Parts: sequence; structure tokens; C-alpha cells
Amino acid sequence: MTRPIQDHEILSAVFAKMDALALTLASGVLGAIILILATSILLLQTVPENYPVGPHLSLLAEYLPGYSVSWSGVMVGGVYGFLIGGLAGFAAAVYWNIAHYVALGVMLISSAELAD
Amino acid sequence: MGNYQNMQAVKQDESGINLKLLHAAIRFNSMILGLTGGTMAALIIYFATQVSLGKWGADSGNYLGLLAVFFPGYSVSPAGAWIGAFWAFLYIGVFSSLSYRLYGKVLGTRISEILLSTTPTENPVLKPSIMRLHGMSLGLAIGAMAGLGLFCSTAWLVVRGTAEESVHAALLANYIPGYSVSILGGLLGAAELFVLAFVGCLLLAAVYNKVVAMRHG
Repeated sequence: MTRPIQDHEILSAVFAKMDALALTLASGVLGAIILILATSILLLQTVPENYPVGPHLSLLAEYLPGYSVSWSGVMVGGVYGFLIGGLAGFAAAVYWNIAHYVALGVMLISSAELAD
Repeated sequence: MGNYQNMQAVKQDESGINLKLLHAAIRFNSMILGLTGGTMAALIIYFATQVSLGKWGADSGNYLGLLAVFFPGYSVSPAGAWIGAFWAFLYIGVFSSLSYRLYGKVLGTRISEILLSTTPTENPVLKPSIMRLHGMSLGLAIGAMAGLGLFCSTAWLVVRGTAEESVHAALLANYIPGYSVSILGGLLGAAELFVLAFVGCLLLAAVYNKVVAMRHG
């Protein structure tokens, strides 16, 4: 039989901190896989002779120097994907944690004012 | 006294969870995630527009400018950067917020599954515990919202009568076989994107939880 969930356990879940390093790594891995797959899928498609492969995805090179829709570009894309995904994950975790602290602070101040 | 006991009975479900508190918690976190996602999206659009302007000047905006289809008033210009940031904040903020609501609904009273695997602290304010992710619930929520987003975007292109000219949107078929800029193609694409996002979220949650377990036991 499962025990009843206490209120403080729900509050623990609500105000639980995001592990910034864990989300950085997880988002980085996901970002790397997405860019590796996105490039590889285009490379594995059969295209007519002299037909450009992935001309639109290649435009990423404007933002990611060294990237191209090629097998060497797959590895470069993987590194960029990891960096961009990781950066996004880190920013999301930090923002999430700060937003919770700010919200908590506001709530504590409000409740203190109400108590007065 | 009898009324008070009835209220207590309504407040808690059969597993003993304070549903009122749980729903308030989901609403609170959905707002926070909405702010997080919206702010990040706004920053990305703002800086992408500024970088494009800085790099190509008057020639910029060939592809980024296509966002105007979904962001009314947007253009690759200094003023357009702010308009784009506003729309990105709105779209992604709502997307993130609804995703968390769905995540909370799917997780629901099974919140104990992630709570019992963490160490609930007696003082969640001063000493918060570390969050864990429930991959299945996250996958269902993000997958459903991503699928809905793709379908709505495709339907919008069809409704405004530019489906035939939407050659760039049609390129999604490279990654989502069977997708086309049509209502049927949008439905098929939504279903496939749901699966892709679901798998992605499972992976994200697995890696995140693994690192959390390694760092916090």
C-alpha cells in the first residue's frame, strides 16, 4: 500500500531546483544528436549528379563557422549542437532557478506583510 | 464541522494527495516555465535578427524574414527585432506554459514516483531538493504540443492560401516523411513529430536523471 503524499513533498517538487550541469549535459547531448541526424539524413538521400546537397541547412555555416552538409561537417555540427544545446540548457536551468527564487522572495514578503 | 470534513474529503483524492495544492503548484510552475521559454525565445530572435543585420546589412532577411508569415509586423530591421522578440515570447511562452500544464496533468497523482526517488526536504523554501524529470510525461506533453504546433502552422499556411508557395516549409519532408503543406500532410507530420519529440524527451530525461543521480545520489 502506498503512503499518502504529504503537502511538503508537493512543495518540494514545486520548488525543486533544476540541476544546471545535468540539464546542460542532457540538452547538449540532445542538440548534438539533432544536428548530427539532420545532416546525416540529407547526406544519405540520393540526389542527382551535380545537385547541391542540403543547400538550406548549409546556411547554418553563416552562424556556425566550419559547418557544412558533409561527413566532416557532421562531426563539426555535433560539436556545435552540443555547445548550443548545452548553452540553452544551462540558461534554462539558471533562469528557472532564479525565477523560483524571485517568486519565493515575493511570496515571503507578501505573506510577511499580510501577517503584519 | 461536518462541512469542514466534507471540504477535506473533496480536497484530497483517494491516494491522499492535496489536489488543490497540486493544481496550484502546476499553475505556478507552468507560469515560470512560460516565462523561461518565452524570454529565451525572445532573446534568440532578437539577437539572430541583429546578427543578420550586422553581417549582411540591407541584404539580410532572405530567410529570417520568412518569419513574418507567423510574426505579423516582423522584418529583419532594428524595429523588427523587437517585434520578433515580442511574438517569440508570446508563442514560446504559451507553448512552454501549456507544455508544463500538460506535463503536470499527465504526471498528476503519480508525482509520488518522482518525489519518492528524490529526497523531499522538510523546508522546500530554504533548502530545495533537486528536480528529476519524468520522461514519459515530458515526452507526452512536449510531443503533443510540438505536434499541435506543426499542425497549426501548416493549417495557417493553407488557410492564408500560400501552401503552394511554401517551398521552405515543404522541406520538412526531408525529416518527416509524408509531410506536405496541406491539412492531411499537417496531420501526418504532427503524428510523426509527436513520436520524434517523445523520443527526444525520453533521452533528455534519461541523461538528466542519470547525471542528477551521479551528482546527488
